[in-house]
Amino acid sequence: MRRYVFRRLAQAVAVLWAAYTLSFLVLDFLPGDPVSAMAGGGLDQASVDPAQLESLKREYGFDKPVLVQYADYLGRAVQGDFGNSVATGQPVTSVIGDALPQTLVLTGAALVLAVVFGTGLALAATYTSARALRQLLLSLPSLGVSLPTFWVGLMLVQLFSFRLRLLPAFGNDGIASLILPAVTLAVPTGALLAQVLAKSLFTALDEPYVQTARAKGAGRARVHLRHALRNAALPALTIVGLLVGNLLAGSVVVETVFSRNGIGRATVSAVTVQDIPVVQGVVVFGALVFVCANLVVDLVYPLFDPRIVVASATRRRSLV
Amino acid sequence: MLTVVAALALTACGSGDSGTTDGGAADGTARSGGTLTFAVGSYAGCVDPHQVASNDTIYALRQIVDSLTDQDPSTGKIVPWLAERWEVSADAKTFTFHLRPGVTFSDGSAVDAQAVKENFDAARKLGAKASLATGYLSGYVGTETPDDLTAVVSFEQPNAQFLQATSTFSLGLVAGSSVRKTADQRCTDGVVGSGPFVLGGYVANQSITLVKRKGYDWGSSLWRKTGEAYLDKVLFTVVPEAGVRTGSLVSGQVDAIGSVSLADEAALKAGGAVNLQTRANPGVVFNLGLNNSKPLLQDVAVRQAIQVALDRQQIVDTVYPTGSKPATSILAHTTPYYGDVSPQLTFDAAKAKSLLDTAGWQVGGDGIRTRNGTRLSLSVGWFANAATNQPTLELIQQQLKAVGVEITLKELQIAQITQVQQSGDFDALWGNITRADPDILRSTYSTALANTYRLTAGALDPVLTEQAATVDPAKRQALVNQAQDLIVRNAHVIPVVELTTALGVSKKVHDLDFEASSRIQLHDTWKS
Amino acid sequence: MSQTVVGDPALNIVPEPDPRDRSEATGWNPARGLDLHRLARFLLRRPGLVLSIAVVALVVLAAFWPTLFTARDPLLGVPSDRFQGPAAQHWFGTDEIGRDVYARVVHGAALSLKATLIAVAVAFVVGGAIGLVAGFVGGWVEDLLMRLVDVLLAIPALFLSLALVTALGFGTVKVAVAVGIASVAGFARVMRAEVLRVRHATYVEAARSSGARWHSILLRHVLPNAMGPVLVLATLDFGTAILAVSSLSFLGYGAAPPAPEWGTLISTGRNYLANAWWLSTLPGLAVAATVLATNRIARAVDGEWASQR
Repeated sequence: MRRYVFRRLAQAVAVLWAAYTLSFLVLDFLPGDPVSAMAGGGLDQASVDPAQLESLKREYGFDKPVLVQYADYLGRAVQGDFGNSVATGQPVTSVIGDALPQTLVLTGAALVLAVVFGTGLALAATYTSARALRQLLLSLPSLGVSLPTFWVGLMLVQLFSFRLRLLPAFGNDGIASLILPAVTLAVPTGALLAQVLAKSLFTALDEPYVQTARAKGAGRARVHLRHALRNAALPALTIVGLLVGNLLAGSVVVETVFSRNGIGRATVSAVTVQDIPVVQGVVVFGALVFVCANLVVDLVYPLFDPRIVVASATRRRSLV
Repeated sequence: MLTVVAALALTACGSGDSGTTDGGAADGTARSGGTLTFAVGSYAGCVDPHQVASNDTIYALRQIVDSLTDQDPSTGKIVPWLAERWEVSADAKTFTFHLRPGVTFSDGSAVDAQAVKENFDAARKLGAKASLATGYLSGYVGTETPDDLTAVVSFEQPNAQFLQATSTFSLGLVAGSSVRKTADQRCTDGVVGSGPFVLGGYVANQSITLVKRKGYDWGSSLWRKTGEAYLDKVLFTVVPEAGVRTGSLVSGQVDAIGSVSLADEAALKAGGAVNLQTRANPGVVFNLGLNNSKPLLQDVAVRQAIQVALDRQQIVDTVYPTGSKPATSILAHTTPYYGDVSPQLTFDAAKAKSLLDTAGWQVGGDGIRTRNGTRLSLSVGWFANAATNQPTLELIQQQLKAVGVEITLKELQIAQITQVQQSGDFDALWGNITRADPDILRSTYSTALANTYRLTAGALDPVLTEQAATVDPAKRQALVNQAQDLIVRNAHVIPVVELTTALGVSKKVHDLDFEASSRIQLHDTWKS
Repeated sequence: MSQTVVGDPALNIVPEPDPRDRSEATGWNPARGLDLHRLARFLLRRPGLVLSIAVVALVVLAAFWPTLFTARDPLLGVPSDRFQGPAAQHWFGTDEIGRDVYARVVHGAALSLKATLIAVAVAFVVGGAIGLVAGFVGGWVEDLLMRLVDVLLAIPALFLSLALVTALGFGTVKVAVAVGIASVAGFARVMRAEVLRVRHATYVEAARSSGARWHSILLRHVLPNAMGPVLVLATLDFGTAILAVSSLSFLGYGAAPPAPEWGTLISTGRNYLANAWWLSTLPGLAVAATVLATNRIARAVDGEWASQR
């Protein structure tokens, strides 16, 4: 077991290093010039002294050879220093750190909604014996994953903020401003969860032990919840990493639509002004979250079923 | 909508703009207290007024610094603020400011001659990021401090625009503790000023919070209230979508919004709870800045054809907030020394076609003109910084197509602007420059300076140089008129529409006033 | 299952599970004839699938022959007609400078479909190539490539696309390439798995022992037989790609105005939420309908047809 844990940890670190390197490679081919963006200070067409530009480039190390830059940056990244935002001068870690709580609140609320409604939907769809109802319930998840998230958000704002004036259209103030964004973000995530769970529930219901339980006279609801769901939940656990990744990615669009502060919105601003250090920080952060989520799943999984130690990684990946 | 402000303004600039909120006649007297929530469209990524030029962010940052002087928005006159009086040498090279006693920064340090010196010395060193401030201080020799309350600023060459520049946020005074920080630190930490509000905090891309400065007692001579501001707190919150800003103002989630476009007006008026406030920005109007060195555009006939092919009134009527005006010169009508040259900017498609016909451009099969196998096609670079830009350019595209000129729109990232301007790798750029002094014509169109639009040296240059050294208003007016006429007659760039700053303000908010360059001052503002 | 299979004697000896049925599913294989009766029965029991096929057919038609659907110019506005709501005159209303939104959605199909095709093609080709090389060559090459794929999987797709867009710049094609590269990993995995499965199949061993060159084995035996599941994945990837491309153009990284790319239409409409609901609502419905239809068809191709057999 210890060797298993150690190997998983080592893999996680290796993936993070590779993600950092990859993002460095990608972003190093940037054609634009972030220093000019900074010097221009925006839209005004006042021109900038080239000598001053050069000194800014030196200040940010853009004048050094690529390999030296890479070694420099990696060395600092290992110590938790991802450099400063080119646009704001703020350290990247604090850009992400400041935005993180808001994104955690949003993604956390969305995850809860997604799990509650996703599970509920999957259970209802597999439980009901009315064919038409089942078809309807089963079609909802496909609908959920097909709707553009940004569009769902805009529709909710139209209806609940502007027409009914019930909920704020933007902002981070309190529960009221959280409802619409969380619902928006929960739609695709809950739908995905419902799809996976419904599939594995159907599979579980066909398993011999369920037949056995039924034959022994267990009630239908009891079989459904105690036996089938418990076994169906295990495969669903393997997509946790995917769900978390989806939530994080979804926050980019949702935070933009609802003008909420958070990592997603910080990312959009960074991409728009080609703020490389921040984009790179976010990419590595995304990988970190994904890797951690999977690490937790990998470590928790054997507790449920020790036999899966070896198989789990492969199985999860095939779902991804 | 990022902008530059500056200059000497002695003549009236005849502001006929639709006005400010009525001083709360219905609710009786002004009252102190309360929080104002203001939704703006963008965040400039920095909370140092010396390094920011974007209106949306300046709305907030203007409130945390005071300036040596203030500029009367209705007359353009420079009036006392932190400087009680001043003298300008006859050659416009030396400026002596006599400071008001007893003024302190919010960290307790004194606003004295030494602080003025430190600020101007440091503004030069902020370098590329503080392009506005460094522009105002070009040729800066130094500041002498004969006594605590006297600062003597001198320049190498006549710098007539400097007095007005001291009224702008870009040269607003900050405390020594802020001066000694690096440019980056100032951007992220903010600065300590002596203004009616202090920076309470900010979240990048989300909000800036201002808190009332206790004991403030040195307001501009233009302000009605003496002493502290009315409002306890002001929250500037960033909401990028115009539609969401509008909806939130109507539903009462915010008290005021920036960047109102024509499309929002109906919704804002419908509720009856919102006032629209507009004011035309002074400076260079929104224009197609043509690259005069491109083969296609070297021909003055082509430039003039483009100039008369635009139906400016249609653009204003379709896109811009009520009260906006089509360009009647290269300068907006609120700029000091503005002169009307509108006859040359009248829409005349027939004239445009005949100019192009005469120049040998024949209409091709797809409606676009060609000459010797060359298509009359121009690429216009633009920036998505104001919601009005895109619809305007799409209309321009459509209007020019009607006379056989093809326009392709190329959205540029702000990261590329300096590079594009310096390389000259563009046919035309869309933009404006807010600046309350005609010297902006020299810094933009003189061939001796950056010369972004690649004009060839000629009759315009001596006129621009001379106006900068001329202090006498009548003489300067004649020179600036001549410059405007030369630029428009030769269609070096194509003036299109004046930028009009438009705010939506809840009727609960009173005396939210524009300053001379159409930014806001909140000292006198109160909520009922 | 693809046409390249047809008439290849080497393949006919293969005890492949279902090359015939799969090709029938899409009707690609005229040589074997189409079981029309079965297809009709299959479709009749799935009205949603029929509707989906109709929607996708309409979108494809709109992309290639937009004038079939509208005679209006998507780029020409009549400023005095701006902000008219949906009505008989303008089905989807008009926008801020008086252009017909329906015409813009129809013409936008070309841009959006093109971007989607590029994205899927990039993912298919690059991912397929990585998987093929990894599976066929093996050894340290396989290790290296598959670790790279692991890394790609570890970065949320949208973040990866955003990083690529930051590097490449903005525009429909660049966004499409970024989306494609972000979904390379899935294709690489499936292709590798298939190649590994096929590589040790008897007919490949037979070809090898009869002295065939490696590239001939690769191109004539391995690739055609490994292709099936990768093509299924490609159909599944369509819906995802449409959403990803429109998300990125919604965020402002897509087509330059006045091009009516779908995500851009919705994004521009945001500025007029307060006064013109149709500007973002109706293009959004078009995206949703297309993705829904594509996903429905992909599901049919993936499972239902085979399992119904």
